[in-house]
Amino acid sequence: MWGKGLITGMKVTWGHWFGKKETVYYPEEKLPMTERFRGGHLAFDEKKCIGCKLCAIGCPNAALDLTVSVDEDKKRHMEAYVHQIGRCMYCDLCIEACPTKAITWDKNYEFASYFKEDMTYDALVEARNRRGDDERND
Amino acid sequence: MAQTEKYVLNMGPQHPSTHGVLQVQVELDGENIVGAKPVMGYLHRGIEKLMESRTYVQCVPFTDRLDYVSAMNNNLGFCMAVEKLAGIEVPERAEYIRVICAELNRIASHHVFIGSLTNDLGSATGMIYAFRDREKILDLFNIICGARMTAHYIRIGGVAADAQDEFLRDTQKFIDYVPEMLDEYNKLFSGNEIFQARMKKTSIITKEMALKFGMSGPNIRASGVDYDIRKIDKYGAYGKFDFEVPLGKRGDNWDRYMIRMKEIAESAKIIQQALDNMPEGPYMAKVPKVLRPPKGDAYHRVENTRGELGFYIVSDGSTKPYRVHIRRPSFVNLQALDTMCKGMLLADAVTAFATIDPLMGEVDC
Amino acid sequence: MHSGILYSLGQSLREILSSLIGVPILVDLLMTIICATILLLIMATSALVFTLGERKICAFIQVRIGPNRVGPGGLLQSVADMLKLMDKEDIVPRGIDKWLWVLSPILLLVPSALIYAFFPFDDGVILADVNVGLFLLIAITSQTVLPFLMGGYASNSKYSLIGGMRTVAQMLGYEVPMVFALMGIVMITGSLKMSAIVEAQSDVWFIVLQPLAFLIYIITALVESNRPPFNIVEGESEIIAGPFTEYTGMRWALFFLAEFSNLMCIGILTTTLFLGGWHGPDFLPGFCWFWIKTFLCVLFYQWVGWTFPRARVDSMLSFGWKVLLPIALINVLLTGVGIYVYNVM
Repeated sequence: MWGKGLITGMKVTWGHWFGKKETVYYPEEKLPMTERFRGGHLAFDEKKCIGCKLCAIGCPNAALDLTVSVDEDKKRHMEAYVHQIGRCMYCDLCIEACPTKAITWDKNYEFASYFKEDMTYDALVEARNRRGDDERND
Repeated sequence: MAQTEKYVLNMGPQHPSTHGVLQVQVELDGENIVGAKPVMGYLHRGIEKLMESRTYVQCVPFTDRLDYVSAMNNNLGFCMAVEKLAGIEVPERAEYIRVICAELNRIASHHVFIGSLTNDLGSATGMIYAFRDREKILDLFNIICGARMTAHYIRIGGVAADAQDEFLRDTQKFIDYVPEMLDEYNKLFSGNEIFQARMKKTSIITKEMALKFGMSGPNIRASGVDYDIRKIDKYGAYGKFDFEVPLGKRGDNWDRYMIRMKEIAESAKIIQQALDNMPEGPYMAKVPKVLRPPKGDAYHRVENTRGELGFYIVSDGSTKPYRVHIRRPSFVNLQALDTMCKGMLLADAVTAFATIDPLMGEVDC
Repeated sequence: MHSGILYSLGQSLREILSSLIGVPILVDLLMTIICATILLLIMATSALVFTLGERKICAFIQVRIGPNRVGPGGLLQSVADMLKLMDKEDIVPRGIDKWLWVLSPILLLVPSALIYAFFPFDDGVILADVNVGLFLLIAITSQTVLPFLMGGYASNSKYSLIGGMRTVAQMLGYEVPMVFALMGIVMITGSLKMSAIVEAQSDVWFIVLQPLAFLIYIITALVESNRPPFNIVEGESEIIAGPFTEYTGMRWALFFLAEFSNLMCIGILTTTLFLGGWHGPDFLPGFCWFWIKTFLCVLFYQWVGWTFPRARVDSMLSFGWKVLLPIALINVLLTGVGIYVYNVM
């Protein structure tokens, strides 16, 4: 019968009209991110980093800018660890290149901002602020 | 005596239904099309040139962005070309995981096809249903590599990390859901008389024309040519799986649509076989930290969702490739647009763009 | 003779006005103005309700929830839409035919508002119960072709021109099957008066007596009001918005208003002509049944609209002329034979 396909199609949409909806009520409900999720800012662990700069060399787009100073005892100190999100591809090569696993993703994807300057941040400063907050809270 | 004249309608880079930034200058006589000229280049990003100043490992994330809807297949093509050049052998578990990811991505890309086709035809509902099912696959990719679209998971020598049990379990759940999903699409779209009337016997590409243009992928299989690189070259682990290659008869829009639906079922078959026979072992071969392939060149092709994706790499012995050329299937397939649109109505032009399934990231590179 | 709450309300209002103002002509004028205002309010409310209703229904069909942030459960979304459209920049393209372009949305609203005068909302509650009601109604609705064509031509854009051309072909082509389908109803009733048509359905609704005409009417109603699957005039994925492409802000809001008022009109017409108008069991007053049936019809049209893809111009026109018109003519023949046999028995 001509028209049977049309009626079957309407039955399908009828079923969905009164069925379960897939919407997630963001921001009250948030979907959990997986363990390997690549996103957010870089969480920098100052104790593990040895200042080898392999992450900056491995980045395809030169999004990482490290400033390492060497003092009289030939010990390396990290001065600044600047990450330009505008250039970053989130390809994970920096994290894989690090021999001590000093950087990871902090999975906080809600960092949209009104100003372009916020897209370039210093992961070292953020790590120190976070550690300061943790010590204050303890 | 009434006088008519032809006019050129510019379906420009901003249009609800050219897939991405494609400009088509359509010459019309009333509502009949007399000629269609595609103008591309609006999304050119210079990927081939950029690759000349990056090392091989750093080149792989760029291939994600070519055909951004099926990123795993692009990664696969480039990595296999480099492995051919450098003589690296990939362990078997990595091959199986690569096949699973590539076929999942094929299904995801076909969902984009179904969604945009039904949206262009007028039913916005179709787009939402297709993308809702695509979300399930993107969640699987989120589990295995952390990114949904630009996966960067298949690396030179294997895969980036091992497939967890969670991934294998959820993939099995998805494969069990595929028949129900296809049934719903068949009831809502394939059985619909209006849909069939719009797609059957329009924009026919004959066998000779398809071969002359050098088309590949589902577009040429719809015209009746049995050409699937997975069966011919048997690269990777594809030789070990048993699957069929659906063929079309007439080469019209309907055939191109039905073949992609059947390919979803075939991909699900391949993934089921891979899940059942997954071997244990390492997931990455022993690749030197600084990769210096010997001097020479290599060309390797894979069956991308849209056709034959080929990577031609010329190496001069250093860590960076001397030249990479990418043979992009959508770029070649787009030539057929003029032939497809001649003699059709304006509404059929839109259907033709949708069924040839170009992706501008790939056309412009 | 007439029963029902609304009729008695109307009569008491007329008596109050007569006692305040003695002159009968002035009383008539005042009553007409009040009723016309109420009808315009109904039309405006329909647009407001359907802006939200359409989005929610299309969302439910598409496995998602629609607007839910503005107001409780998204109820103030239409207000937000109206405010947004009001403060948009009024872009006037270059090279347009100024008067045609400006008049087109205004003229589109006139027929859509005018036909509300012919709808029987309850027993005896019609603003203009002329004895050629149905004929006048069809004649006025076919005036909507001209403003579309005006907008399409005057916009100085190829997309609009194609949309305008499609309008003429589509809407003129489907007027004929619609009129012939409604001929069956007129033959059974014996009159073109809208209240008489509803009266004739007090025992059996016309959907039972004229099923073929009902099917034809549903299809032609979707075509006449440019609803999917027949929205080729504003086929969004091919010609962007057809004749409306170059209109922004409040001008576009007028088109929008006309479109939703048309949707309500075809719902009301389906109810009046085939589903018994305001007839129904006694536990609810007449106009409640009227509105319930209208809303169910509108929901049905939206359900159909959001399920199917769009038809193509040539297949739509050949369907109208080669399939619907012969079926409508056969329907007229069968109705005539049926009336003769019924009278003989």
